[in-house]
Amino acid sequence: MRTRRASNWRVAAVALATALTAGAALAQDAYRLYVANEYSADITVIDTATNEVIKTLTISGRPGEVRPRGMAVSPDGRTIYVSVSDFNPQIETPEDKIVAIDVETSEIVGEFRAGGNPERVAVSPDGTQIWAALEAIAQGAGYDIATGEQLANFRVGVEAEGVAVSPDGKWVYITAEATHTVTVVDRENLEVVKHFLVGNRPRVVEFSNDGTRAYVSAEIGGTISVVDTSTHTVIQTINLGLDSRPVEIAVDPTSDRIYVAGGGTSAVYVIDTSTNEIVATIREQMGRRPWGIAITPDGSTVYTADGLSDSVSVIDTECLCVVDRIEAGRGAHSAEIGVIPDGQ
Amino acid sequence: MTDTRPQPCTVRVRALAPLLAALCLFVPAASLAQGIPTEPLVVGVVVPVATGDPLADAVAKSAADGAVMADDEFAFNAEMLGIDFSVITRQASGADAVVAAAEELVAEGAYVVAGGFSLEEAAALAAWSAEAGVPYLNVGSSADALRQEQCQPTTLHIEPSAAMYLDSLAGWYVRSGFRDWFFVRGSDAESSRQLQRVQRGLRERHFGARSVGDVAVEPGGDLGQAVDRVRRSGADLVLLLLPADEQLRVLAALEEAGVQAEVTGFPYPEAQTRAFYQASREAAPRLGAGHRASAWEATLDAYGARELNARFRQFFGGQPMEAPAWAVYQAVKLAYEAAFFGGGTDVESVLTYLEAPTTVFDVWKGIGTTFRPWDGQLRQSLYLVKVSETETDPFTLVTLVGELPAIYMPGTDPVERLDQIGDLAAASSCRR
Repeated sequence: MRTRRASNWRVAAVALATALTAGAALAQDAYRLYVANEYSADITVIDTATNEVIKTLTISGRPGEVRPRGMAVSPDGRTIYVSVSDFNPQIETPEDKIVAIDVETSEIVGEFRAGGNPERVAVSPDGTQIWAALEAIAQGAGYDIATGEQLANFRVGVEAEGVAVSPDGKWVYITAEATHTVTVVDRENLEVVKHFLVGNRPRVVEFSNDGTRAYVSAEIGGTISVVDTSTHTVIQTINLGLDSRPVEIAVDPTSDRIYVAGGGTSAVYVIDTSTNEIVATIREQMGRRPWGIAITPDGSTVYTADGLSDSVSVIDTECLCVVDRIEAGRGAHSAEIGVIPDGQ
Repeated sequence: MTDTRPQPCTVRVRALAPLLAALCLFVPAASLAQGIPTEPLVVGVVVPVATGDPLADAVAKSAADGAVMADDEFAFNAEMLGIDFSVITRQASGADAVVAAAEELVAEGAYVVAGGFSLEEAAALAAWSAEAGVPYLNVGSSADALRQEQCQPTTLHIEPSAAMYLDSLAGWYVRSGFRDWFFVRGSDAESSRQLQRVQRGLRERHFGARSVGDVAVEPGGDLGQAVDRVRRSGADLVLLLLPADEQLRVLAALEEAGVQAEVTGFPYPEAQTRAFYQASREAAPRLGAGHRASAWEATLDAYGARELNARFRQFFGGQPMEAPAWAVYQAVKLAYEAAFFGGGTDVESVLTYLEAPTTVFDVWKGIGTTFRPWDGQLRQSLYLVKVSETETDPFTLVTLVGELPAIYMPGTDPVERLDQIGDLAAASSCRR
């Protein structure tokens, strides 16, 4: 385990923001932020109440060869699931797997073989399944967490990337970068029900809180596709700009906002989903190349994983400004938030 | 020839620009799906005939492999969407033969034809394209004449232009301190044009560098005078504006004469292959292990290129994806996207989609690319590689050492960023 570290960097706004959001800060006490570090092969664990690094979970002793990327947190907060692969996308190696880590003991408590460069992973709302996008073999796969068995795998578009399970557990959406598609899997019947086109080089998909919409970021297109999940069709496309390179999306559990990490412009785009308009673009004091993004369940704080500055930017959602920066590992890639396990 | 095609929507409905801009911000994406054709889709590719010449054959094989992989991946994806999509190829070399091949491909249902690995072939295909009303994607000829006085309204260029390659070379070498340039050119018009273009670039864009001389050589002719001119010029950089096989001959002669200057050459398709890099080092162990410009590099490891290069290597038993394969693959991809996103496979729909300033392409170079409206050239960044003096593994025979323009420049407009190389509208005589 690495020495706990946090930056001393603070801006004057912190004190003010802290005072204004003291109540929210108490609520934040129940959360942990996890940041997957692609090049240091570890996971930074951050206490969102203090924005301090509380531990670092080592994924591999071979950083630069083994790369953790996408993550998901179990509903009870006890386990994080991490997509692990090597840097050679086409050759299946023992590293191509999803590992389950007990966040309190730091022990690996399960492994799921996922040949083909798993990139991102999602956990079902009931916590019984994980779903992964297997980039190198153009497949999406589901796994039973209790037994470790692969439930099914499906052909999706080329360079599978993002995956999400709808809040009602009915649908799994899987994106494919090279072919601009989203594949829809009926989770109960374990069958593909539709493929549809979205923006250019789709990365990440996230569902709205009520599950009626899904949002798909398109890195090269610089867009967010808004999907009607009752018909699995794109109903609107929000343009963030050609150079925005949006990747991860955080859906605010408490409002109509979504927050989009703009890796190309080192910005976060704030979108009001009631109008699908950009209401703010956060640039000042952002870390470089924000790739991952997560929001606390109380909606008070957004965190970005900044891949080129090895940091986490902390954004207050009241002022829509960066109020802190936390040192992460090398190549911060994705960010997830989970509750603190009961009794810990 | 009269251009009867409609212009991109932004031009045709200029009076509605504000409304159009709003539509561009919020594209009703249902329209994307509504336009997907239901009939089988065919893209035709004309690849060179293998002749036994190792450099030409390397291009032929690479181009054919690019078509095979594109067929595999995009047919796979189209099938998911319920569409029958295929890539068919014809082998042909020479102007008449490639046109005949293109006609065969269209007879078999192709709605787009890609090919052309020399000025003569590409010019013939471009002229045929305009006459036949079939979109043509140039994947192998960098000749500026095709983007200037010989431009055709139904032709788009995925292969970078000579002006782009030459501006990139100037950018790299001048910044690296090479100030005195000597040019060895062929006696053909294309070579002379390249000379004029690079000299103009040095005069107008790269202050501090200058031309210290040039000499023309005949194919297979005596090189004694040319070598002597190079030695006496005091050049620190020698640029070979010659076909690939002639570059090898001059490299060997310069090496034998003990020339100490850095030597590079114009990146014709043959000169962007591992076969050339290997031959270059064998012909001139010291001078032949220098730097080369390329449209694509198999060791490019960013922007998703890692995945594309890895899939290609696996598909073809470890063979690196070289520039001709990349260009053909991208041609098929763009044709595929035009059919799926452009609302039809007729020439107007395809070209209107491809040429629209709002249509952005991902060509695995990490930045959204578009076609320049004035000459139909695909904007893109280029790469600089260094040939290893000792490496024997074909994959690592070269090392990627540069990218121009650099694409990670937040705060700058991506189109302006890519337009740092090549001829801008003011320098174009093309009237599309």
